[in-house]
Amino acid sequence: MFFKQVRRNAAKNRKGNGLFFGSLVIAIVAFYTLLSLGEQDVMRYLATVESDAVSKLMKLLPIIYAISLFFAFFLVYFACSYQINSRRRELGIYLILGMRRSRMFFMLFCEALWSSVISLAIGIPVALFLTEGISLTTSKLIGLGIIGHHFSFSINAIVWTVCGFIFVQLLSMLFICVGIGKAEPADLLRTETVKNQKRLSGAASTVCFILGLVFLLTAYYLGMFQLRSLNFFVMLIVILCGISGTFLLYRGLGGFIGLYIRRKSPDAAGLQTFTARQVQENVLSQHKSLAVSSLLLMMALACVSYGISIGVGRSANSRSVDFSLFGAEEQIENILEQDAMKDMIKDSYPLYLSMVKDGYFRDQEQAFDTASLTEELDKVKDPNGLAENIIENLHIEYVISESSYNRILKDMGKKEIHLAKNTVAMYSSIANDGDFGSIVESVLKKGVSVGIDGTKYEILPTLYYDNVVADRAISIYMALIVPDTLYTELAEEQEAYCRNLRLSDDLVEELGLMQAVQKMDAQIADAGIAYDSYLGGIGRNLFYTVAASYLTIYLGVLFWLIANTVIGLKYLISQRQTKKRYETLVILGADMQSMGKSVAKQISVYFSLVLSVALASSIAAIVTMFTSFTKLPIGASLKTMIVLSAVALIVFATIEILYISIVKKAASREISRLETTNWR
Amino acid sequence: MNTQKQILQVESLTKSYGKGDSSTEALKDITFHVLEGEFLGIMGASGSGKTTLLNCIATVLKPTSGKIILHGKDISNFHGEALSDYRGKEIGYLFQEFELLDNLTAEENITLPLALHGVTAKKAKSDIRSLAAMFDITEVLDKFPSQMSGGQKQRVAAARALISNPDIVLADEPTGALDSKNSKILMDKLSAINREQHKTIMMVTHDANAASYCSRILFIQDGCIFHELRRSVQTESTAAFYDRIVAVMAQLGGGSANVL
Repeated sequence: MFFKQVRRNAAKNRKGNGLFFGSLVIAIVAFYTLLSLGEQDVMRYLATVESDAVSKLMKLLPIIYAISLFFAFFLVYFACSYQINSRRRELGIYLILGMRRSRMFFMLFCEALWSSVISLAIGIPVALFLTEGISLTTSKLIGLGIIGHHFSFSINAIVWTVCGFIFVQLLSMLFICVGIGKAEPADLLRTETVKNQKRLSGAASTVCFILGLVFLLTAYYLGMFQLRSLNFFVMLIVILCGISGTFLLYRGLGGFIGLYIRRKSPDAAGLQTFTARQVQENVLSQHKSLAVSSLLLMMALACVSYGISIGVGRSANSRSVDFSLFGAEEQIENILEQDAMKDMIKDSYPLYLSMVKDGYFRDQEQAFDTASLTEELDKVKDPNGLAENIIENLHIEYVISESSYNRILKDMGKKEIHLAKNTVAMYSSIANDGDFGSIVESVLKKGVSVGIDGTKYEILPTLYYDNVVADRAISIYMALIVPDTLYTELAEEQEAYCRNLRLSDDLVEELGLMQAVQKMDAQIADAGIAYDSYLGGIGRNLFYTVAASYLTIYLGVLFWLIANTVIGLKYLISQRQTKKRYETLVILGADMQSMGKSVAKQISVYFSLVLSVALASSIAAIVTMFTSFTKLPIGASLKTMIVLSAVALIVFATIEILYISIVKKAASREISRLETTNWR
Repeated sequence: MNTQKQILQVESLTKSYGKGDSSTEALKDITFHVLEGEFLGIMGASGSGKTTLLNCIATVLKPTSGKIILHGKDISNFHGEALSDYRGKEIGYLFQEFELLDNLTAEENITLPLALHGVTAKKAKSDIRSLAAMFDITEVLDKFPSQMSGGQKQRVAAARALISNPDIVLADEPTGALDSKNSKILMDKLSAINREQHKTIMMVTHDANAASYCSRILFIQDGCIFHELRRSVQTESTAAFYDRIVAVMAQLGGGSANVL
C-alpha cells in the first residue's frame, strides 16, 4: 500500500510537472557526458599520442565533476522544492491525520528515489545517444573519420552518474525536508503566501542601484582596458566589482521599478500596474536569485564563446606541411617515386631555410641592420613592456627562400608573396604567442626596413607565420623571407633543409586527415629515413582544442541550464504563492485573456531583467578574454568566428525563447486551473 | 429605498455539487428579489448555502438551474466580455478576508476594477478622494496592505467595491475578520452609503450585530429560504431589530418546530 502510494505520487509529480522532470533528466545527461569524456573517440586517439596531457586532463575530470555536482544540486533542489511546494497542503493533511513526520519524510525520500530511477532510465539512454553524437561529430570534424568510431559505453561513467545523481537528489530532499520539518501542520495547510519583503527606502534603493551600476561599469572598464596581461590584482578587482555590482544592481532594482510604477500608475489601464507590481515583488523578494542567475548566464555565455573560439582558432587552417623528410636528396627521391606514394602526395618540394652566413656577423653585432625596426618598436605604447622585450631580444638569424615559402602558401590556398626589388618579408613561428604577433605586425604596417650589407630592404607590412616544417615544436623567433637570389647570397647552407610533403586532397577527403596522415606515416616509416609528421602537431593541437572547447562548452551549457531553471522555477513558485490574487482579479472583472497576457508579460520582463545584465556582462567578459589574456590566434578566420558566434547566439536565443514559452505555458496552465473560473 | 423597483430577481435557483449518488444540493429552488436601495442580509448556519447563493450572484459559481436577473438581464447566460463587465461594473464584491492585493498600494487596489475596464486612476481622481474621505483612509492611500490595520484594509476593500459605482454590492461576511470596534465602523459606513446614496447591498453574515443594520434579512437553512425578517427603518431601532434577529437565530438552532 505504502509503495503503491509512493509510485502513484511520483507518477503524479512527473505528469504534472514536465519542467521538474526535465531538469532531473538534464542533470543526468550532464553528468554522463562529462564522465564519459575519456571514452570519446578523440580522447582515445589522443591518449595514444599525447598520453601525458590526456592523463592530466583525466585527473582534472573529478574536480569538474565535483563542480558539476555542486551546480546540479541547485538545479535539482529548485526543481524538487517547486514540486514539494505545490504539495504543502497534502503534506499538512498527512500530518493532521496522524502520519509521523519520520514516515512522511521516508515517503518523500522513496518518491524521490523512484523519480530518480525513472529519470535515470530515460536520462542514461539520452546521454548515450548524445555522447555518441558528440563523439561522431568531433571525429568527423577533425578528420578521424567514421572508420575510427567505436561505440562507447562507459560502465564507470554510468556508475558515477547514478551515484552522483541519487546523492544530489537525496541531499536536495534532505534540505527540503528540514524546511518542512520546522513547519506546523497549520502552516502547511495554509496556501503559502509571499513573505513580506523588507522594502528598501527609495533613497537606499537608488544608492544600491547606482552603486551597482558604477561597480559593474568599473569591472567592464578594468576588464576590457586594463587587463592586458594576467594581472592577479586587477583580475581580483574585476571579479569583486562584477559580482558585487550585479548583486547591488538587483537589490536596488525593485525600488527603481517602484518609482517607475508610481510615475506611470495614474495613466495605467488594464492590468498594467498589477503586472508591474508583480515584477517588482519578484525582484524584491528574489534579488539574490536574479543576481546569481545573471552571473551564471554571463559565465555560460563567456564559457560557450570561449569554447567555440578555441575550437575554431585551434582548428583554423593552420595545416601547412604534412611531412618533412630529412636525408640525401637521392634517397628521398627514390622513396617518393614509389607508386603507392605518388597517389597520396599533392605536392613535394625542398625547403630552403638556413642560418645566415657567418660572414655577415664578422663586422657587426647583428647580421642585419634593424635600426628602423627598433625605432618603430620603441614608439609602441605597451604597458606590459612587451615591445621593450622584443627590442632587447631582436635578432634575425634565419633566412627562408621566397619560392619555398610560396609553395607552403600555395598548398594552404593562401595568397603567395611577390617580393619586388629590395623587398623582403618578415617571418615568425611564434606570432600567436600572446601579443608578440600583433605588436610586430603593427610595427610592420608603419613601413620599416632592414639593412643587408649596406642596402636598404623594405619589409612587407604582413607578418608571416605558417609552419615551414611538419614538426611544430621547431620555432623560429624571427626570420626573413628573401628572394631566391638573395637567399643564395645570405644562406650558410645551400642545400635544402628538408623535403616537405603535402598529402593529396582526395586522400584527406576520403579518409579524414588523421587517417590519411597515419597511412602515409606507415609508408615512410618503412622506408627508414628521418622524418617529422603533422601527426604530433595534430595531437597537441587537438588536445587543446578538445580539452578546452569541450570542457568550457560543457560548463557553459550546465551554467545556462541551471540559471534558466532557477529563474523559471522561482517565478512559477511565486506565481503559485500569489494564486489567490488571480482569483480576486477574476471576481473584480479581469478576464482570462488579460490575466494570461499579464502573466506572459511578467515572465518576459522577469527573464529580460536577468538576460539583459547577463548579456552586457558577457559581452564585456568576451571582449576582456579576447583582448587580454587569451588572444585569438592570428590564423583564426574572423569570418568563421563571427558566423559561428552568430549561430551560437541564434541557438541560444531560440532555446531561451523556447524555455520562456515553456514557463509561460506552465504559468497559464496554473491560471486556467483557478477555482473561481468554473464559470465558462 | 425604491419600494417598487426590483433590481435583482432570483428565480428557482438550484446549485448542486458532485454527480450521481454523491450529488449534494446546496441551493434548492430558491426564489426572492432585491429592491433597489435595499440593505438585504442573508443569514444561516454554516453549510446552509448562503455563501453559495452569494457566489452564484457574483458569478463565481455557475448555478445548476434557475435564473438570476439583474436589471432584466439573465446573468447566467453571460460569457466573455459581458461577464467581465458584469463583475467589474455592475457588482462590487466585499470579501471576508479583504482580498486586497498585497503588492499594490491602497490607491492601486481601489482603482483596480476601473483599470480593468480601461479607466485610469487620473480620470477617477475625484471619486477616489471622496471615497477615501468617506471611509477615512486618505492617509493610507499610498501604503501597502501590510502597513495597514485590519479595519483600514476592509475599508479600502469597501472603497474598491464601490469605486465603479456598481448597482449592487455583495458582501461576504465583511466583519468576519474584524474586531467589534472596526466592525461597527465598517457597518456604520456601509449603512450610511445605503441610506445616503441608496446603494443596494446584499450581505451574507453570521453576525447578528452586523445584520441589525439591514432592512430585511433572509434566513436560509439547508439550501432553502426558511424565514424572512423585515425592519421598519423609520420606527424600529437597530437594537430592537437585533433582539428579533437573535430570537430567530435561537429558534433556528432548535429546529423548524420552534419557528413560525
